[in-house]
Amino acid sequence: MKQKNVIVTNNPLVSEKQPGNLPVEYLETDYMGVLKAARDKIHSGATLLTHPLYGSVKPGETPYRSLLIREGGNKVDLQSLRLIEAAMETCRKFEERTGLFGAGSVRDFQVVDLSLLMSALGDFHESRQTLSYK
Amino acid sequence: MKLELGKILIHDICFAEKSEIRDGVLYVSKEELEKIVMQEEGIQSVSFDIAKPGESVRITPVKDVIEPRVKVEGPGGIFPGMVAGVETVGSGKTYALKGMAVVTAGPIVGFQEGVIDMTGPGAEYTPFSKTLNLVMVCTPVPGLEAHDYESAVRLSGFRVAAALGELARELQPDETVVYECSDLKESFEKYPGLPRVAYVQMLQSQGLLHDTYVYGVDAKKILPTLLYPTEVMDGAIVSGNCVSACDKNPTYIHENNSVVEDLFAQHGKTLNFVGQIVTNENVYLADKERSSNQTAKLCRMLGLDGVIVSQEGFGNPDTDLIMNCKKIEAEGIKTVIITDEYAGRDGKSQSLADADVAADAVVTGGNANELVILPKLDKVIGTLAYINKIAGANAETLREDGSLAVELQVITGATNETGFGRLSAR
Repeated sequence: MKQKNVIVTNNPLVSEKQPGNLPVEYLETDYMGVLKAARDKIHSGATLLTHPLYGSVKPGETPYRSLLIREGGNKVDLQSLRLIEAAMETCRKFEERTGLFGAGSVRDFQVVDLSLLMSALGDFHESRQTLSYK
Repeated sequence: MKLELGKILIHDICFAEKSEIRDGVLYVSKEELEKIVMQEEGIQSVSFDIAKPGESVRITPVKDVIEPRVKVEGPGGIFPGMVAGVETVGSGKTYALKGMAVVTAGPIVGFQEGVIDMTGPGAEYTPFSKTLNLVMVCTPVPGLEAHDYESAVRLSGFRVAAALGELARELQPDETVVYECSDLKESFEKYPGLPRVAYVQMLQSQGLLHDTYVYGVDAKKILPTLLYPTEVMDGAIVSGNCVSACDKNPTYIHENNSVVEDLFAQHGKTLNFVGQIVTNENVYLADKERSSNQTAKLCRMLGLDGVIVSQEGFGNPDTDLIMNCKKIEAEGIKTVIITDEYAGRDGKSQSLADADVAADAVVTGGNANELVILPKLDKVIGTLAYINKIAGANAETLREDGSLAVELQVITGATNETGFGRLSAR
């Protein structure tokens, strides 16, 4: 199977902007849902390229998560698995309070999430030789 | 590299027609400072206020805290790459206005961070309840994009701090401290019997409201590099990050880094302080690998015996922290790491998102999930409109009696990971 890089996200702004012209898999789910979807992909051979707990806006505050992964591997990448499991464990520690924020904040959460992903993609595009991160 | 740091003690701040420092009092002309701030085209208006220790004042949302300084002798200027040119700083003579700070505050995005209480229980947790604070709140021109707004507020803060520092240029310092760091060859010869120790400082570097700058360079784009520790005293590292304010380093903390200060205090006595390595905390996993590899390589090149590593933030930086620790230890160099904890409100959960057996010497800055009640204060500088929306706050945060129930996360500097705060554990 050919390897390809995909953004898995529940952030509609990421889906709309499609940063780096990368394929986007948009999921109607919450923060934890994105982590779970990524975990399932890791079980099927995907590798994480960005850290699942990027940013200082905590789980429970921001509803959004966008992860860059590389699909198509033929074995489970243990480093990716360890990171995603630890992220899910961390996520469970935080109270859910994303519902508190008004419409203006929702847009801001989307912008910050996109900005952090773009920062990672900047590195990604400038150093393609590191694509096969292990 | 030798730096003389002259301390000008500021006992009071008041507004006046003309900006000057006289008999330890800083007189501030709002008009003069407004002109400096209004150079930024993104800023529509700015207001200034003063908050003094012990007053019933709450400042929120805080973006940065900056200590005014001026370069009196030697190459370069304060905040190189931001306000001054990019000449290498850290030698000669610098004056600092001690006992005060410039605090930038105001909304940039709709969820906001950073509380400084000048009195009450909250004041016990933030180092900036002890400083006389000149607070500037900037409002943007309508429609300004968040990145541009952040940049305009950040730069304005540095310009105002530099302008206030400039007022001290012709003054006599109340006290002077000399910091001297030898070059490699010289330090090998001078302290043959002492353990060679360096400081590895990890810098938050992930994007909007999560960035740090080294000589004006966005830290996410650097390879780890080596500094004379005196360079940071001239503002070589500045902050552009404030999200989850308890464990972020405002510029003030970079200028007054406690690890640097304490290593200098032991330099030539119990250890040989070789230098400061700065590295980043990026989103992309390959960057984390690359930066920790390079950091460990620099440690080996310097022939170190020991390293102190300080983290900035929580979550994904735990991965950088553990990578740095493991790889430096693998070079046969002892490490001590400084972090903080998100151990749940009861303190019983796993503290870090990553761990390793090599991390067997750990200093904590406290548990950021700890709940505190902050009583209502008489005056708010900035706005409380966001207080329910800051990290660590929840729907019941703003209670009927006006008090706030919040996690320590919201308090600027409360669990600082350079040891600048007051919390720890044994």
